Amino acid sequence: MEMVPQLSWYLALSAVLFTIGVVGVLVKRNVISMFMCIELMLNAVNLTFVAFSSYFREVSGQLFVFIVMTVAAAEAAVGLGIIITVFRNRESLDVDESNILKL
Amino acid sequence: MNALLFILFAGLAIGCAVSLVVQRNPLYGAISLIGVFVSLACIYVTLAAPFIAAVQVIVYAGAIMVLVVFVIMLLNVEEEERRNLRLRYLMPAAVLLAAVLVAEATFVIYSVEASRYQPAHPSASANPSDVGLTASIGTGLFTTYLLPFEITSVLLLMAIVGAMTLARRATVTSANVVVVPGAQVLSSRGVDPGQVGSITDSTPIETHTTAEAERLLGLEEAPRARDVD
Repeated sequence: MEMVPQLSWYLALSAVLFTIGVVGVLVKRNVISMFMCIELMLNAVNLTFVAFSSYFREVSGQLFVFIVMTVAAAEAAVGLGIIITVFRNRESLDVDESNILKL
Repeated sequence: MNALLFILFAGLAIGCAVSLVVQRNPLYGAISLIGVFVSLACIYVTLAAPFIAAVQVIVYAGAIMVLVVFVIMLLNVEEEERRNLRLRYLMPAAVLLAAVLVAEATFVIYSVEASRYQPAHPSASANPSDVGLTASIGTGLFTTYLLPFEITSVLLLMAIVGAMTLARRATVTSANVVVVPGAQVLSSRGVDPGQVGSITDSTPIETHTTAEAERLLGLEEAPRARDVD
């Protein structure tokens, strides 16, 4: 009998990708690398949306993915603008050095 | 067949994701992230969602990653050097939190498996669904979900304005320029020296009309098309 991927396979893959993204955000010090790990987490969530949507034959999940992608694009534009501004002021992308709000 | 494809692309995605975290050079990390995006797009195709797969490649692997790579090149990001003096506890904390997260996810997935309801894979059923096609997504987007769609466009507009405001360099004023409200400011370097005589580099020059500025800049010979007419 041919093996067919179960829904839980996709959920497991998504969980693993999301966890890798969390670890990246916690471990990385370069702000651009952290940004890319956040994108990875967004993609992991998108995978669950698409998997549920196509298993349950419900189109709203994929519409939500569409909106998540829009938010990610907006986040990329504004986030990279912030990164460039921070780099201009501090000449560094290390998040440990941007600690002016620290007590 | 579907299971093989899933295993192939899932392995590729996880490998690229691990590489993204492990790489110290952000540019290699960006390339790994593109690998994750493309393999996820392939998984979307096997899930019968071709529209989302195409948008994934175009928006994520195309637009967003081009922006990221552009910023990496622009800022000339150096590799992270190894220094583990401060924040040494972050690595164990990250691993611990990841273990907790994986345990939670395993529990949830196990309870999904244990439940009686098992939906079929979209390719397994006899009548293929039209859920992932562009037509059904467009219909949903412009009828039931019209308000979120419009909110999305407002969000994009706000992002454009915000990015422009952030990225614009504040007005550069050097010490040898005097700013008069309503007046044009000329730096002494660009001025035609024959018109203003010998000036030192620190002389401020103020002009109050366009014609005066053009004369000082040596631009007055340029004919203006509107005047000819």
